[in-house]
Amino acid sequence: MFANSFELFIQRTVDGLAAGSIYALLALALVVVFRGSGQLNFAQGEMGMFCAFVASTLTLSGLPLWLSILLSMVVGFVMGVGIERVVIRPLEHKNPGGVLVAAIGLFLLINQLAVAVWGVDPRGLASLFPDGEDDFFRLFGAAVRWERVGIFLVMLVLLALLWALFTKTKIGLAMRAVANNQDSSRLVGIRVGWILAIGWGVSGAIGALGAALLAPQAGLSQALMLGPFVFASAAAILGGLDSPLGAVVGGLAIGLIQAYIVGYVNFLGGGMVLSVVFAIILVVLLVRPSGLFGSQRVERV
Amino acid sequence: MLTVSGLTASYGPVQVLQGIDFTVGDGEIVVILGANGAGKTTTMRAISGTMPRGGTVDFAGHELTKLSPDAIVRLGVAQVPQGRGTFSDLTVHDNLMVGAFTRSSKVTEDLDRWYSVFPRLAERREQKAGSLSGGEQQMLAIARAMMSRPKLLLCDEPSLGLAPIITQDLFARITELNQESGMAVLLVEQNANLALKIAHRAYVLDTGRIVASGTAAELQADETIQAAYLGV
Amino acid sequence: MAWPKDVRRGSAWHRVGQLVLFGLVALFFIRAGLTWNRSGIGQLTDMLLFATAAVGLNLLVGVTGQISLGHSAFFGLGAYTSAVLVGQYGWTPGWTFPVSIVLCFAVGMVVGLPALRLKGVYLALVSIALATTFTQLLNWDRLAWLTGGPIGIKGLSYLPPSWTPFDGRADLGKWFFWMSLVVFVICTLIASSMIRSRFGRSMVAVRDNETAAAVMGVNLAAVKTLVFGLSAAMAGIAGSIFAMKLTLVEPVVQFFTLFGSIFLLVMVVLGGAGSTWGPLVGAFIFVYVRDWASGVGEGNGVLGLFEGTRIGGLGGIVFGVLLIVIVFVAPFGAVGLLRKARAKVVRVLPRPPALPTVANAQEPQPPTTVVSG
Repeated sequence: MFANSFELFIQRTVDGLAAGSIYALLALALVVVFRGSGQLNFAQGEMGMFCAFVASTLTLSGLPLWLSILLSMVVGFVMGVGIERVVIRPLEHKNPGGVLVAAIGLFLLINQLAVAVWGVDPRGLASLFPDGEDDFFRLFGAAVRWERVGIFLVMLVLLALLWALFTKTKIGLAMRAVANNQDSSRLVGIRVGWILAIGWGVSGAIGALGAALLAPQAGLSQALMLGPFVFASAAAILGGLDSPLGAVVGGLAIGLIQAYIVGYVNFLGGGMVLSVVFAIILVVLLVRPSGLFGSQRVERV
Repeated sequence: MLTVSGLTASYGPVQVLQGIDFTVGDGEIVVILGANGAGKTTTMRAISGTMPRGGTVDFAGHELTKLSPDAIVRLGVAQVPQGRGTFSDLTVHDNLMVGAFTRSSKVTEDLDRWYSVFPRLAERREQKAGSLSGGEQQMLAIARAMMSRPKLLLCDEPSLGLAPIITQDLFARITELNQESGMAVLLVEQNANLALKIAHRAYVLDTGRIVASGTAAELQADETIQAAYLGV
Repeated sequence: MAWPKDVRRGSAWHRVGQLVLFGLVALFFIRAGLTWNRSGIGQLTDMLLFATAAVGLNLLVGVTGQISLGHSAFFGLGAYTSAVLVGQYGWTPGWTFPVSIVLCFAVGMVVGLPALRLKGVYLALVSIALATTFTQLLNWDRLAWLTGGPIGIKGLSYLPPSWTPFDGRADLGKWFFWMSLVVFVICTLIASSMIRSRFGRSMVAVRDNETAAAVMGVNLAAVKTLVFGLSAAMAGIAGSIFAMKLTLVEPVVQFFTLFGSIFLLVMVVLGGAGSTWGPLVGAFIFVYVRDWASGVGEGNGVLGLFEGTRIGGLGGIVFGVLLIVIVFVAPFGAVGLLRKARAKVVRVLPRPPALPTVANAQEPQPPTTVVSG
């Protein structure tokens, strides 16, 4: 009996970490944008979904999966940069409150664009990792699927890459400088506008990767990112919107909470997961209004 | 080197600079004096391109009013903004590195040089800039500006919030930099006495107009000006 | 006298102008109520109900500067309160309205409490949480005895009472239209008079500078909580009527979900946050532009082009693009745009101050002394 419930616990932990890894990825994408420009990109999820469709189309045309996903990340990057330059930046000078409405407009636009281009029939996207019936190994008796491990590793690699980007490259240094003080950044010769646009691009690429990891299990449809985006924003806010570490911790925590609630709290049932997650976040925010790892500072909305 | 003519600038409907003219020659230290609200900081921002402006600003044959702040830095005009403008969340080291954003070669060489000029910064290399004292932050701001290897350094009220002895030290450093490298300096100051000691020439700014100009010695000698504008 | 002509606020001409504007809008609605066909009136009624909820949200977003993406929950709570009382307990629909108002007001106050401590995107997320949690509660099987779960509550009806001039089922559309119009007008009057009162000015203080408001002795906590409550109550009564008009409630009704919250916020921003006419104009644009855009997707064409071509998703694309275009063209909302247009014809001057002003003395210019260098 004990062994059995322990196995179950391991199982749920692994599932939670895998789901949490994707939330962490998407939360990272939100954080990269927020640190630079103080904005929450509501169209983030839809951009990712769109890119996953691109990846799926590329694989159907015969490209290898990894290359398709890589190219879809490039598409995500270009989309991010384009949206920042064409819509967000001009609007921020003219009408800061309108950025939110524009983001909602983008949300609808991209979502329905996917409908127009690819139709409403669900599609598939193969997984980067072995995800057949037998592709698992046993850990303390629990079946750990390789795909879950793969997703977790991708998240870690991405985190390392982002860390390297921010601390080891000139662009990364400029991104941190812009996040800290835009006026001084101009005075040292940084093109602030482009740095912000690159932030949106990086975020778009990460979003594309997140969607590509999610699509094999969730099924590729226009609704792919609706739920995950809400969980990811919750993760970003829980961790603190300007903290990459916070995004990862927040994402994993929410994945785990989700897995444990579904598994252990029978009274609530699966349908109430999000509510419980939000209740926990609310409590955290009331104690720390800028999230677990976020810095207290003035932000724009 | 720098020739400013008819420079105007406004905050919304309020015109702060009424069209001012001045020059900074090669290797010169020029100071603009004036009381609070005279338009000193606005002059600096108008040159560095961080606010909209009119008139002409010629720097070594380039028209700065048509350029963006980053292009102006690339031409060799660095600004130490009022209030220092250090990146408080970044370490001292990163602050200096970001100062060299427009350059790609010999950055470490310069880094070592400024660490040796300002040993206090070397000691606090890994500390966040926000945790430094006012004087240290001012050193950092100057060192950061120097990292771009400027031909002209704009210094906006470096003495602000510093004890007189630290200000004296700071001004001595600025003189050294000027003498060693022949870098021109445009200094904006409220503290007329200290500034006139290191400057070659000076202008007096009052409500957006240049009301007096001359060599530092002349202005120091002119009692009317001292009494009317420099609060002595 | 050259254009633009000057009109002083509160003067006879200013009042005439206001009356004419008000009269034209009233005329539009009265004419619509008397002559439009059933589906036209139905759509106009929906628009008025969304506008009423938007008036509530406008009070919050526009006046206190707090963002809420949770107002679909109050709209839905109002709707479900009426639906449960009518459908499960056999109440007369009209009597459920006050219950809705009070309940939404109370829940709004409670929800407003965390809003005291949170700002900006953090508050936005908590309100998103409210909207999603509400939908999950509606679907929750343990509450199905009350809410009907995923199936909802169907077969509601609210026939016009005998004291009204409406003739039963035949006039159902008109009955809901006039009722919604009256509720909308009442909510707008309450909101706009609040904005002008001392209380309202304190709200603006809260929006512009919290510390200053605190120094001035404005009780921030009380103001914010109360506004949240009122704002919720207005969304609630709109939801109640909406449910009765729809004759059913179910969790998938768009305006009970997060989308509803987003749409309400879009209306407020489109109309012009903080302005009295904003919610009406915003809701009008939203409902009719969306309708037109989905018509484009179904083959109505754009300006005679693409007629008969059906493209899936085109309606959403057109609407999304329009939203973006509108925020570019009208940075302060449609009302801001109209004001700008009006400024070309008439310039409204503030009321004359009580005391005569001292003409700004020209400051003496110092002599320009140039020491030759």
